[in-house]
Amino acid sequence: MNDQEYLCLLGPTGAGKTTALRVIAGLTAPDEGTVHFDQRDVTSVEPEHRNAVLLSQTYSLFPTMTVAENIMFGPDIRNVSDRDKEQMLVSLLDLVRLTGRAGSYPRELSGGMQQRCALVRAIATSPDVLLLDEPLRALDARLRIDLRRELKSLAKTLGLTVVHVTHDQDEALVMADRIAIIRDGRIVQVGTPSQVFNEPASPFVANFVGQSNFFTGTVVSSGPDGSEVEDDTGHRMKSRPTDVPVGEKAVLAVKVGHTRLLKLEAAKLQGRIERMLFEGRVVHVDVDVDGVGRFSAKIPASHGGRYQVGNEIGVGWNRNKAKLFPYPEGGLENELRVD
Amino acid sequence: MGSGDRLLEFISRRGFRKGWTVFNIAFFLLFIILPTVFILSYAVTDWSKIQNYVLNDPATMDLIIGAVVVSFEIAAIVTVIDFIAGLPVAWMMARKEFRGKQFLDTLIDMPLAVPTAALGFSAAIFWAATPNPPPFSLAVISSPMLLIILLHVVFSYPYMVRSLTAILGGIDETYETAGRTLGASRLTAVRTITLPLFRAGLVTGAILCFARSLSETGGTIIALATLYGRKMVEGDFQTGPTLIGLWKDASVSDPSLLPALAFVSILLIVLALVLLLVLKVVIMKVRLPLRKVWPTPEKLLSRGLFPKFKDSSAVLFLAAIVLVPSFFIFTYVFTGTPAQADWGLFIDALVTSFAVASVVTVVDLVTGIPLALYIVKNRSGRLAQLLDVLVNVPLIVPTAALGFSLGLFWSTLDSGAAVPILLIILAHIAFTYPLVVRNVVGAVEGVDPAFEETARTLGARPLQSFRRVLLPMIKGSILAGAIMAFTRSLGETGATLAVVANANTAPVYIVNLVNSQSYYLAAMACIILIIISYMFMLLLRRFTREEVV
Repeated sequence: MNDQEYLCLLGPTGAGKTTALRVIAGLTAPDEGTVHFDQRDVTSVEPEHRNAVLLSQTYSLFPTMTVAENIMFGPDIRNVSDRDKEQMLVSLLDLVRLTGRAGSYPRELSGGMQQRCALVRAIATSPDVLLLDEPLRALDARLRIDLRRELKSLAKTLGLTVVHVTHDQDEALVMADRIAIIRDGRIVQVGTPSQVFNEPASPFVANFVGQSNFFTGTVVSSGPDGSEVEDDTGHRMKSRPTDVPVGEKAVLAVKVGHTRLLKLEAAKLQGRIERMLFEGRVVHVDVDVDGVGRFSAKIPASHGGRYQVGNEIGVGWNRNKAKLFPYPEGGLENELRVD
Repeated sequence: MGSGDRLLEFISRRGFRKGWTVFNIAFFLLFIILPTVFILSYAVTDWSKIQNYVLNDPATMDLIIGAVVVSFEIAAIVTVIDFIAGLPVAWMMARKEFRGKQFLDTLIDMPLAVPTAALGFSAAIFWAATPNPPPFSLAVISSPMLLIILLHVVFSYPYMVRSLTAILGGIDETYETAGRTLGASRLTAVRTITLPLFRAGLVTGAILCFARSLSETGGTIIALATLYGRKMVEGDFQTGPTLIGLWKDASVSDPSLLPALAFVSILLIVLALVLLLVLKVVIMKVRLPLRKVWPTPEKLLSRGLFPKFKDSSAVLFLAAIVLVPSFFIFTYVFTGTPAQADWGLFIDALVTSFAVASVVTVVDLVTGIPLALYIVKNRSGRLAQLLDVLVNVPLIVPTAALGFSLGLFWSTLDSGAAVPILLIILAHIAFTYPLVVRNVVGAVEGVDPAFEETARTLGARPLQSFRRVLLPMIKGSILAGAIMAFTRSLGETGATLAVVANANTAPVYIVNLVNSQSYYLAAMACIILIIISYMFMLLLRRFTREEVV
């Protein structure tokens, strides 16, 4: 990873995200492999000598210390002179708007304040890399969204190198310079948010980052304009060009957001609206296509009145939005599993 | 780089940390576990002696079997009484808010503050039918067995109530609420939903009470001596520990008693370990017929007078059976006939007791805390799990047997180990050490390891993160453990007598006074000991309170 980069480790619960952070911090020894900081192998270096600061999910603000004592914990240990500490404290408190709360104890702070306090405590030691373990998880939904922006801009202003672990794909997409998708202890794709979203490396990534609809079949034609897949029931659907050879079993993935509801006669896939969920700005529509499966789409809330549960309707997509993958070895269901 | 930094650098090295851990584990195994169970090896090495002097001697055999059986009978009866009388009180403490709750809370712990020697004397003069009972005493009990049961209930009762309260407080009340919204009466909900959930607390409480009753010596000797109005002899009513005390005393002049002593100790240790294991399995595994429901009678019992009757009789029990006998001794100040005495001896004994308790507590802390940390931080490791179990052994083994085993161990190693005070200290470390370890393990387990880990990533050495982050968070429990160890050492009689027959500690001094019928002096000594212990108890409560806040 690069200096001053903001990297998000994104993956489902139990994928090994936190373990990866702990290995970087030196709190867990890797079963195999090594950890390098710059060119230096730090695999057997104690955590206190790595200068990689971990901010845990619960912040771990020391309850027996005040905000100021918490923030100055690192500099204290490093025997920084009192005058330098004084100055540092003032500017750090100012940075996260905690100036009036220096003498408070962590339990007297709100969730957002605790989060900011833990963040400056980590910054106070000027870490080579800042490790954030789901730093926004314990906050209210609204606050969480505000803090995304704040955290990112703080990291950029201070030129920090950050590894941020999250299971929330929206958070990762908004905050990261690059995203690493991790699953079952393996990184399956690394790329910018738009690469990961638009060019997923596997059906799993396609579904995990922005939900996808899938269409399984056999590749019947393939060319520079695109490919075509046919399933057992004779439906033929198109996608972008692929290198999956003709005759192979394949999975076509298209993001829910790129799936359209069409007039019945204009569509190759025809079905019945099974369910409509009002989500605020959009309405989520599930369409059951006979013999093929369920397809989901999002329509603007203002169009919600045009449809009703039980309506016969067509489903389709722009071929450039659909990506074709070789059929996964363990089956599609297994590939998409997130637990 | 200052010398302080260099020292920090040195002790932060992995090698040093590993060595320090190994040292503490070795200390625990060699100085605590091994001496505690050393006596078991006597059965292998000196079996022929046991055969000659014990097994082939029906009189001795009868004596031993009788005493051991009595000990177990008493412990079992006491545990059952504690449970029945303690459950309603634990329930009130855990679930109800009422005026005077704080007061009741303090009252329950009171008997813990009184050294058992003092407690034994106090309870005995209250209950025992002696020729010249002191004024206001009941003086109705002439059966030694009944007297000892009443006495043991007094000092084991707080353990049961505390264990049950702790676990009841931890059970989510919503289960019960759910049961009641589904139509169960209060009693039915409690009996079928809550009670099955607190088996773990029952196991802890039962084991503590059982072990405490099984190993009590000083109070028992004093109570019996008071009842008989003289020093106990072999033909008297005996429990296992009093028999050890008696024979240890006599073995100074008659070494042929050694095999019998060893045999009784082995029997007590083995049976205690086996029985407690069985107790644990029985309480945890046996399916009690708790499922069946009798809606009508249970509904009737849930309302009206019955719950009030249950609560008030439980509190009455606490007052009449536990508290009044504990503090009856204070009446002596007003009613006793003052006697002339050489207080110098008592002061000496008191100083000895304090010195022993202080050294013991310091050693417990220095070696016990690292072991506790090791146990918590390596929870998944085999060794840590084994140590976690082993730590309980000295708690369960009767202290008289433990003391005898320990004395034998050290004198076997070095026949010149005639430094009695050192032996007493080692014996006291053995049974107080678990108190410190248990307390610290409990506290550290409650602390999220993320605190220390975060401190490490912020640049703190292991020692720094312990001292600056973890220690302030568990300070209260460490102090609680230390004070428990201190008061326990201060009040211990059985182990002291078993390791050195003519030891001079305060509780032993009191035993001797009662044996020579110097009741007034004994009472005064008890009162002084009670007051000192009580002050420590107050400290303990203050520190444990702080942690809760």
